Amino acid sequence: MTNFVLVPDALVVASALVLLLAGRARRRTRWWMPVAAAAVTLVALGIELWAGSAVATYFGGAVLQDRFALFAKSAVLLAATLAIAVTDWSDEDAPAIGVSMVLLAAFGAMVVASAGDFVGLWAGLELAALAAVVLVSMRRTDLGLRLLVVGGVASALVLIGLAFVYASTGSADLQAVRRAITQSGPTLPLAIPVLLLLGGLAVRAGLPPLQFARLPISLGASPLGAGLVIGLVGVAALTLGVKIAAALSSVPALFSPYLMVVAAVAMVGGGAAALATRSPRARLAYLAAGQVGWVVAGLATHYRSGLAGSLFLLGAFALAATTGPAVMGGADVGEFALAGMGTVRPARAAGIALVFLSLAGAPPLAGFFGEFAVAAALAQGRAFWLLALGTLGAVMSVAAALGTVRALYLQSPPDESRRAAGARLPVLTRLSTIGAVALCVVIAGYGVFGNPILSLADQGAEALGLR
Amino acid sequence: MILAGIANATPTPVGVPGANIFTSSLILSLSIWVPAAVAIAMNAIPNPRGRYDTLMKQIAFFTNLGILFVLFIAYNQFQTFLPTIQYEEKLPWLPSIGATYHLGVDGTGMTMLMLSGIVGVTSVLASWGVRERVRSYFSLLLLTQSAVNGAIAAHDMFVLMLFWGAAVVPVALLVLGWGGPRREAAAWRLVGYWGIGTAALLVAIMTAYAASGGSSFDMDVLLKATLSPRVQLAVGVPLVIAAATRLPLFPLHGWVRDVYSEAPLGVSVVIAGSASRLGAYLLLRTFVGADPDAARLLSPLIAALAVLTIGYAAVVALRSRDLRWAAAHLAMVPGAITVFGLAALTPLSIAGSAFSIFTGGLAAALIIAGVWTLTDRAQTRSLQLLSGLAPRMPILTWVLIVGALALLGVPLLASFPAEAMILFGSFKTQPIGAFAVAAGLVLTAVALAALVHRVLFGQPNHDAPAVSDASLGETWYLGVLAGVLLWVGLFPGGPKLPGTDQTIFDPGLVNVLSAGITDIASPYVPPAPPAATQ
Repeated sequence: MTNFVLVPDALVVASALVLLLAGRARRRTRWWMPVAAAAVTLVALGIELWAGSAVATYFGGAVLQDRFALFAKSAVLLAATLAIAVTDWSDEDAPAIGVSMVLLAAFGAMVVASAGDFVGLWAGLELAALAAVVLVSMRRTDLGLRLLVVGGVASALVLIGLAFVYASTGSADLQAVRRAITQSGPTLPLAIPVLLLLGGLAVRAGLPPLQFARLPISLGASPLGAGLVIGLVGVAALTLGVKIAAALSSVPALFSPYLMVVAAVAMVGGGAAALATRSPRARLAYLAAGQVGWVVAGLATHYRSGLAGSLFLLGAFALAATTGPAVMGGADVGEFALAGMGTVRPARAAGIALVFLSLAGAPPLAGFFGEFAVAAALAQGRAFWLLALGTLGAVMSVAAALGTVRALYLQSPPDESRRAAGARLPVLTRLSTIGAVALCVVIAGYGVFGNPILSLADQGAEALGLR
Repeated sequence: MILAGIANATPTPVGVPGANIFTSSLILSLSIWVPAAVAIAMNAIPNPRGRYDTLMKQIAFFTNLGILFVLFIAYNQFQTFLPTIQYEEKLPWLPSIGATYHLGVDGTGMTMLMLSGIVGVTSVLASWGVRERVRSYFSLLLLTQSAVNGAIAAHDMFVLMLFWGAAVVPVALLVLGWGGPRREAAAWRLVGYWGIGTAALLVAIMTAYAASGGSSFDMDVLLKATLSPRVQLAVGVPLVIAAATRLPLFPLHGWVRDVYSEAPLGVSVVIAGSASRLGAYLLLRTFVGADPDAARLLSPLIAALAVLTIGYAAVVALRSRDLRWAAAHLAMVPGAITVFGLAALTPLSIAGSAFSIFTGGLAAALIIAGVWTLTDRAQTRSLQLLSGLAPRMPILTWVLIVGALALLGVPLLASFPAEAMILFGSFKTQPIGAFAVAAGLVLTAVALAALVHRVLFGQPNHDAPAVSDASLGETWYLGVLAGVLLWVGLFPGGPKLPGTDQTIFDPGLVNVLSAGITDIASPYVPPAPPAATQ
């Protein structure tokens, strides 16, 4: 079975290349491309779940297949499948490139998930980020350039941080780094690069107050582009963060205080900003930032339970943040763009409502279960102040999400002739309807049937060497 | 005799005719998930241009009626001689953090579920006039019912948190979507206060979880863990905040005026009748029953909050120029009395409080529903215009009088034994507080008398808009609430076959209530006096 472990990765990257070439050869939109891409990612997910339970190493330890990789890769593949399915492809600038970039971003996140050393971590993150740059550039070249520059800064910070850690420990292999740090203990030469590394990841994940570039970019990009920036790139950055936190878990003094501050600012700032804004996509971006704060809070506990909680939440985050902008479609000009969607596009409206409520942490959806698991870990770690701030942020987030749900279901749809360009209703297709229904089922069922998922996350945390 | 029996349950099986006709190990799950499933299914039914609006209303009504029927069977078959929780369901949910799908009710929980069932049916009847987005309205109403039932039946803190928090979303959307002109302010206030309460509950749960070893959220573990007084205080303070925002208690009552006056009638009935009673239920189950040291330490503070709430509500009602605002504040009184009984920490007062959760919910719902209907029929809320309506509104006059008397705890109504038990039980431990509560009730009586005198029996105002009495449909939901208050007031121990102790079909609220109260009140039983030596 170990021979099949890399099949999902290969399938995803090969499909991306084929679709890219097919799009280049025939510029006309082909209806089968999204269907084929969704089918490929679904098959890859199936193979991952079937064969991914085998523990194996490849390329001299550069690629690791363990329970952590299984969990993270499955979450990424599911998020990519649903994002491709729910996207309104008539609103995307170049569907072939769009589909390919989603697959490449997913592949990048999968590389991070199974990376055994710094090179794999960095390369996977950059691949995911560059795919997002391409997709953003398709609609707004200026924003693509901005994302490239800001991403370059973040990348430089991550790279410098990784290089210094390598210099301090003498190895780029995560296991070896972990052993070296356990022996050496926390030192100032190690603390500085860790700070740089976390700073770079915070910029990549768009955490408040470092969302200065990510927010306008996600607002101006196409729906799928925004989904990549807010979702998959964030997931790749967070996965890298989880691996680094696990490697440093023996010296929590090096990273835990930073992470706690970052988490507190993100949770409260994300909730407050989501409450203040009226734009649905900006609100979604802020809600996502708030939930990333919860993921980071779980990492700050530096216990296995905290990391498992973070992973569990990361899965919920990947689903909601990646698919959120895509399921909203072109409705990004204001709340009125979503008005009455519950009547005219019921499946899509339900998907949007559940995505917002899940990102806000409202029960009984995926986000709530993940945040509760992190909260339990924070309580075990006696971080009650962080827990209190997190719940405050969650309350604000739920209030913000209710505003969007109200627009969806309690406001009348505007007259079609009065719809602004940005308020165009998504085109109804069979794939998008199936995708929206599947999204609802997954978000609602994630926690209800959460036992195997959380168990897998727990095994993932154990695979990273945490007790 | 009956009242004393509640506090001292006898371990004697009482046979109830009709027992074991229907049994189901999933009776609590049915009461939670059937409304939720129906709500989701309703949204799948196409309803072009409101063509099937009446069908939607009927589905919601019969779902609630069915749930009430199932709950009545559960109530009827409740083993009143057992102090343990019943209808237990336990499944592992998230074992790695110690969360289980654990449901079960004691006597108080069973009566709370009955309250929720009655209020659920009433709320659908009170919502029959809804014309806009009928499908969404009744779906959200059913989801609210589901969340309230879940919070009552929860026997795991994780499940409690899930349903406690889940109730906020549908209620807020109902206010936002179908409320009056100030609905936005009302909804956001509700979300703010209830959200703070939910956050406080989470902090309390997590504190208890961490202090008890961080292995389980099960109430059997969490509430029975031996915690130091300091930890109990750390758990108790947020629990009191959570309860005070939900009930509400002064000074965390900011949502009351806007929500009760702006929310649609059916929603106000649910909030006043069952959703807000969860606050008192939370205090009873998780604070008084589990943290005796903190309860003793905080009891003067909680009693003071209760007294302040009663006094504040009465004064605001006296000064109010809007009848709905006055009723909204008066609806806070039963909850404050309940909390005062809990703060007194005697077996009798705690039993009275448990009783009062049920009766207070009905009384608050009745006063809110009566006033809402009256202002609707009179086409104005202004107390400067409403006057001398009794001759033209005989049905509503009776309803309002019954509601006012129920708030005050007058004999023959269910709230009388509850309030009597609370006051009798609290004079020993909280004499000043009991006197203050009595004084507050006098002030409430003055406020109610002034309102009733002015609105119903004053000089008719010929400048006021035309009025009409309650319709048949309105009489139904008002009659159900008033009828249950009268029934339980007349037969608190259940109607008996003449000359026997055999209850006919209702085992009696006090009998059901008594199961579990002994256990909760056990830390507060005064030590027996030493036997006299000869």
